[in-house]
Amino acid sequence: MIRLANVSHAYADDSVVEDLSLSVAPGEVVGIIGPSGVGKTTVLRLLALFLRPNEGTVEFDGKAVWSVDESDRLALRRRIGMVFQEASLFDATVARNVEYGLRVRQPWSERLRDLLGSGLGSNGTPEAVEEALDVVGMSHKVDQEAHSLSGGEAQRVSFARALAYDPAYLLLDEPTSDLDPRNTGLIEEAIREARDRDIGVVVATHDMHQAERIADRVGVLLGGGFTEVGSTETIFERPTDERTRKFISGELVY
Amino acid sequence: MSLAGCTQLGGSEAAQNQAEVAGETLTLTTTTSTYDTGLLDAIHPEFEEMYGVTVDAVAQGTGAALESARNGDSDVVMVHARGLEDEFMRNGYGINRRDLMFNDFVIVGPESDPAGIQGMGSATEALTAIAESEATFVSRGDNSGTHTKELNLWEAAGTDPGGDWYQETGTGMGEALNVANQQGAYTLSDRGTFISQRSEIDLVILVQGPIEDGPEILANPYGIMAVNPGVHDNANYDLAMAYIGWITSPGAQDAIADYTMNEEQLFFPEAVSENPDFQQYVPEGWSSDSSSD
Amino acid sequence: MPLESAAQLLPAVVDLPFREGYVSSIISVSLYVSVIAVTLSTLFSLPVAVLMGFSEFPGKQLVKSIINTGMGFPSVVVGLLVLFAVSNQGPLGALDLIFTKQAMIMSQFVLATPPITAISLAAITGVSDNVRDAAHVLGGTRLDVALVVIKEARYGIATAILAGFGRAISEVGSVLIVGGNITSADGISKTRTLTTAIQLEARQGQYGTAMVLGGVLLTLVLTINAVVVRLGDEGAMNR
Repeated sequence: MIRLANVSHAYADDSVVEDLSLSVAPGEVVGIIGPSGVGKTTVLRLLALFLRPNEGTVEFDGKAVWSVDESDRLALRRRIGMVFQEASLFDATVARNVEYGLRVRQPWSERLRDLLGSGLGSNGTPEAVEEALDVVGMSHKVDQEAHSLSGGEAQRVSFARALAYDPAYLLLDEPTSDLDPRNTGLIEEAIREARDRDIGVVVATHDMHQAERIADRVGVLLGGGFTEVGSTETIFERPTDERTRKFISGELVY
Repeated sequence: MSLAGCTQLGGSEAAQNQAEVAGETLTLTTTTSTYDTGLLDAIHPEFEEMYGVTVDAVAQGTGAALESARNGDSDVVMVHARGLEDEFMRNGYGINRRDLMFNDFVIVGPESDPAGIQGMGSATEALTAIAESEATFVSRGDNSGTHTKELNLWEAAGTDPGGDWYQETGTGMGEALNVANQQGAYTLSDRGTFISQRSEIDLVILVQGPIEDGPEILANPYGIMAVNPGVHDNANYDLAMAYIGWITSPGAQDAIADYTMNEEQLFFPEAVSENPDFQQYVPEGWSSDSSSD
Repeated sequence: MPLESAAQLLPAVVDLPFREGYVSSIISVSLYVSVIAVTLSTLFSLPVAVLMGFSEFPGKQLVKSIINTGMGFPSVVVGLLVLFAVSNQGPLGALDLIFTKQAMIMSQFVLATPPITAISLAAITGVSDNVRDAAHVLGGTRLDVALVVIKEARYGIATAILAGFGRAISEVGSVLIVGGNITSADGISKTRTLTTAIQLEARQGQYGTAMVLGGVLLTLVLTINAVVVRLGDEGAMNR
């Protein structure tokens, strides 16, 4: 479980989130909804152990993340995968992109062997890479150059890239905002697959209906904090907070 | 040729010394005109084989060659500027100076000879004529040995050259000859460079140097000096002295005389003389009458 | 095709007034000095460019100004500075580097570093932040991220290295001063490069020969550029 407890963070003097709490457990999909620019990305970066909050604590399986030393934190960080709105693939083949996470987790002696010809790629594509590409339906393009993929294909590869090293948690920041319905559907399928593998998934999206489709729990982020966090059903059908209700019904205009 | 037994310098000590310098490198700095004649590349192999050493000949120009020696970046220096050599010795940077060889300078110009200096027996008169007729004259302008000689001639002629007709190029001798050729101008050249370029330019010798019975003032004597190990203890003094000893020996002096370019002799040996020649050890012009320091 | 062109050049080469092995020895020295200088410079410049691209530190603007000034620094002045350093009288005098290829490598290192650093820096900062973030968040250490960035910027970096190499192999001012333009008595180069050989021919007024050597230098540089660009194209065949 990753737990944010009463975290606050500000960029310069701009407070983004204040006194915010959220937890993610394995095998569930948590959706974070709210208008653009409200701080969804910040929350994800805090969950990814990427960003240190000004106040509050971040716990990973009970360990206070920012109290341990750098190498321990790196080990925790490496159990999390992240997908951004833009695919941001490397200028290489699909296979090389997807195996990146596996490569950096290898000890250097193995990486040097890989460089000299044997190692990771020596018996063809690693199994984990093929597997991950299967989940997003991109196996047929394993040796293609990343720059020649369409937007939707690239985003699917980006998902496979985060999945390949079997993370415990997967964080997705507006993963389908730029995609057509078909690719959106494929990504949502992959999210379900990840959840079924007991991965804890967090999806930040401004598309409420997507959250309704795929999330088990939803947090509504408005004005620096969660107005409410609850099961999807509760949020969408019986919100307890007035602001939540207004946002869901579309009355709140930002 | 093998090392130890190939020349009899006399005595086992000499053979010992020979063996001691083997494998070392002698750094010799000299002028560009000396180097460009190709003389050094022709005669050095004999010395290199004899001692099993390497000679690095660095063509830098008179000023830079002496400066390198002053800094201890070379072991032996060969230039043709007696005044600067004497100063170098007086200031303690060099020891064991020897006269080496000489050639001469010539005044060259266009066949049309606008200043009418052809065949003059006096270099200073020729320069005066050039100045008066304001015929174009190309100067090296680079403080080289040649340039220094040129300035000395103007001084001796009592003329201060200047004006549009007097052009300073700041280049080597070969380029200066090209510039003079293109403009149909006069210039002062060392005989060696002129000979090597003769076929490519239209200039002719108008005033001869002492080798062809011209005035003595156009003589161009070369000297060789070892860098003082007292000033720079890493100067390869043993090898420098071996080199000086060799190049002033009858064998090498003959080789220098035999060196030709376009079938003309370029250098005339001066190190070996029948009579005691102590003038090479003392500053030019010294006599027993002048007060000693 | 390149072999045929080289064969066509041979009559011109054979007519040159050089002894056997002269031209190949000066080409050897040119390449030896410039390739080593550029290699050392790249090993130094890339980490500097990565550091400068990704971090702020006091004096960063000053470093940038120094690099930009260094791009246009006259080679002969660099030669003088290295001369002062390696001369017998200088701080490095004990190392006996004056008139050696090592001193030439030093001066060309100084000349090549500013262009390699500046152009690599431009290529590196051109790599999008998103790619950097992705490399980081996928579990990369700072070193991993730096390697990813260098790989992403590889074409720009190759351009930088070629620019540095061009600067090094074409310069004459510094290698002449610190190297001394030395050959052995039978014409095998010790510190003579193509450029200093050209300078020597020019000062002797042998402009024709100088031009031929210039042609050799130009061919050498063009060939190396062509090979590197070709390798780059092969890596980018799908573009």
